[in-house]
Amino acid sequence: MDDPLADAGLGEAPPPVRLSRLRIISMMVGVSLLALGLLFQLVRVQFGPYAPIFADWAETSAGRLERLVPARGNIYDRNGNLLATNATRYIAEIEVRQLHSQSRQDIATTMSELLALPFEDIKAQLDTDWISVGQYRIRLTQKDDKGQTWPIGIEKQEAQILFALQEDPLGPDLSGLDLVPAPRRVYPAGSLAGHLLGFVNQEGKGFYGVEGYYDEWLSGRPLTVERPIIPPEARVAPDPPAGVNLVLTIDSGIQQTAEIVLREAIDDSDAESGQILVMDPRNGEILAMAAWPPLNPNDYDEWLPGGKPSVGESDKKESDSEEDDEDSDSDKKDEDEEPVITPGVAGQYEPGSTFKVLTMAAALDAGVVTPLEQFIDTGEIEVGGHTIRNWDGRGYGPVDMIGCLRYSLNVCLAHIAADELGASLFYDYMSAFGIGQITGADLAGEIPGNLRTPRDPLWTESDLGTNSFGQGVSLSPVQLMAAVSAIANDGFMVQPHIVRQVVGPQGVFAPKTTVLGQPISTDTARLLTEMLAISLEGETSHASLPGYRIAGKTGTAQIAGEYGYDPRWTIASFIGWGPVPNPRFMILVKLDKPESSPWGSVVAAPVFQELAERVVVLLNIPPDPAQMPIAGAR
Amino acid sequence: MTARKKQAFRQTPWRVQLKLTGRTVQVTVVLLVVAGLYLAVNARLADAGRQVLVLEDQRESLQRATAELTAQYAEQTNPERMLERAGSLGYKPADSDEIFYLQVEGYVPPPAFVAPRPPSSRLEGATRLSPAYTETLGEWMTRWLTPD
Repeated sequence: MDDPLADAGLGEAPPPVRLSRLRIISMMVGVSLLALGLLFQLVRVQFGPYAPIFADWAETSAGRLERLVPARGNIYDRNGNLLATNATRYIAEIEVRQLHSQSRQDIATTMSELLALPFEDIKAQLDTDWISVGQYRIRLTQKDDKGQTWPIGIEKQEAQILFALQEDPLGPDLSGLDLVPAPRRVYPAGSLAGHLLGFVNQEGKGFYGVEGYYDEWLSGRPLTVERPIIPPEARVAPDPPAGVNLVLTIDSGIQQTAEIVLREAIDDSDAESGQILVMDPRNGEILAMAAWPPLNPNDYDEWLPGGKPSVGESDKKESDSEEDDEDSDSDKKDEDEEPVITPGVAGQYEPGSTFKVLTMAAALDAGVVTPLEQFIDTGEIEVGGHTIRNWDGRGYGPVDMIGCLRYSLNVCLAHIAADELGASLFYDYMSAFGIGQITGADLAGEIPGNLRTPRDPLWTESDLGTNSFGQGVSLSPVQLMAAVSAIANDGFMVQPHIVRQVVGPQGVFAPKTTVLGQPISTDTARLLTEMLAISLEGETSHASLPGYRIAGKTGTAQIAGEYGYDPRWTIASFIGWGPVPNPRFMILVKLDKPESSPWGSVVAAPVFQELAERVVVLLNIPPDPAQMPIAGAR
Repeated sequence: MTARKKQAFRQTPWRVQLKLTGRTVQVTVVLLVVAGLYLAVNARLADAGRQVLVLEDQRESLQRATAELTAQYAEQTNPERMLERAGSLGYKPADSDEIFYLQVEGYVPPPAFVAPRPPSSRLEGATRLSPAYTETLGEWMTRWLTPD
């Protein structure tokens, strides 16, 4: 056989390649099978029945979970003054794997000296073998007075010192220490409206007042997202839905004035505590809600269960060192009595004579009495086997209904309830006034109060007599305001509320006035307002206001205890509104256990007058001669 | 040259080896180019990711600083301090009898305060990158094969 290569001068022909070809073919087959296997697996992973599981693995395999917490919404007063906002504090965290003996020593020394914390506590935490229990990052903690453990929070100034030390090559070895910023709720106005605002704890949860009621709205919705670390993903982290901003109905000027007036009243009367509420009776907007002792939400620890609220430097009790006064204070205090936060809605009391306006409203509306109807007051009356006497124990002879209110006659009101109205009608009206029910005011912790009715097995007929003048019935200040708003507002009872605007990313939502009902007719409301204005002009000059017509009623209530009414202490109060006939404010003053005088007309009415004088200025309400154009404009 | 000679030329060992080497180099170059492109794109993506993290940190830091300043400003101008300052400057609250009310025709009172809106939430869907950067081959094929 000819060799073509040799013929062409290209050398010898190659040896037979059968074996090599076999190998090549085998290899190709092998590689092809491998490729097919890979392709099959690729398709199986991508589209097979286990595809979702593989997808989940892919989602969670690389990266770390991050919890994104939106900034808590701000709270403003109606004029834009900031009442609650956010600042930053830092939490001390330790990256355990970066620690070594020198840094353990230096971190413990620096932290203990800078933050006045026990060195041993911090050193012990740093020396613990966290890695053996699978912890690579820890938070340094400290114990409070009650033995509770809290993360060490570092304020901005101290954090700046630590940051500077970390960058200083000659400074202490702080490797492993990481200061993680965390939001902190701050209340720039301090204790102003503290009871009303409530507070936010270290975990960011709101309690009491507005913070408690609107907690979910204010806090937004935290998100947990996975962030790839290596390589970092070129994607902006999502922003979690932010919390809303709230604009309150509160006027800081009126709130501040109410707090100053209340503090002075507490000082003057030696009262244990007190509250003042100011509301617009036309729409239920709460303009001020002051309470004593004050609550500073920046420092709320003393208000937690077991704490004893202090009352500030200006408190009379601190400056008063006399032995007998201390005894008197200790007599007043009930050891089991926990301090009430937001007492305007969460504190209940027996209203006493301020409740008489509701009894009279019911009687007038039912048509069982008229303003000039005469009643012969003998000084006592028996209802259900229980003898009721007037506050001063004497009889006033023939008096009309205005006189009954002017002299605050228990006997007269008990007669109206028991003999004229009857239990069924009386309690129907009280129910219509919302007594024993919550008003729905947008503040956390509202209590419904207590009113026994004939349906209650414990009710007795004597309850009807005592209830008529505000004894044996308990309610919250805001509940009384809501009920009496019906008299000031032409018979329409409005729901007290504190939020004027809810401002979210989607826009502004302004809650509308909610009418809770019309327990009495417009004519009755106007008639009773007139009667109260007349009775006030005659009785309590302490509450009158030159240039303005005011309607109102004093109240002096005994305090019910475990063993009946305490003869030593009273709750002195006054509720009034003006200017009549187009009221723009309603004020409730309540002083608990005043010592200078037990009577509402003596200690509470002047407080109303002092505050009302300022309120008319702050609300730009001109005196009576200039009142008409504004009334026409409404 | 006859056909037999051409065939013999094509089958010379050095030609076969050269061809094999050439193809291997060709495949390697293609692979290197693809790997290089992949590396370049991923490096840019990682760099962009790093920048995003830095910018996010900066944004958070600025937001914290703004919140801090807002709180400080509010604290400096709170009603108690303002009352103290006004008092120290000789001002006092006006009594009602010191005020003269004047009715002004056509006066429009200032509008009520409206709080600033909080930032709109930006969820993950809104920040999604182009699918070219994120989707898998299977997802791409599915998208490509699925009619609109």
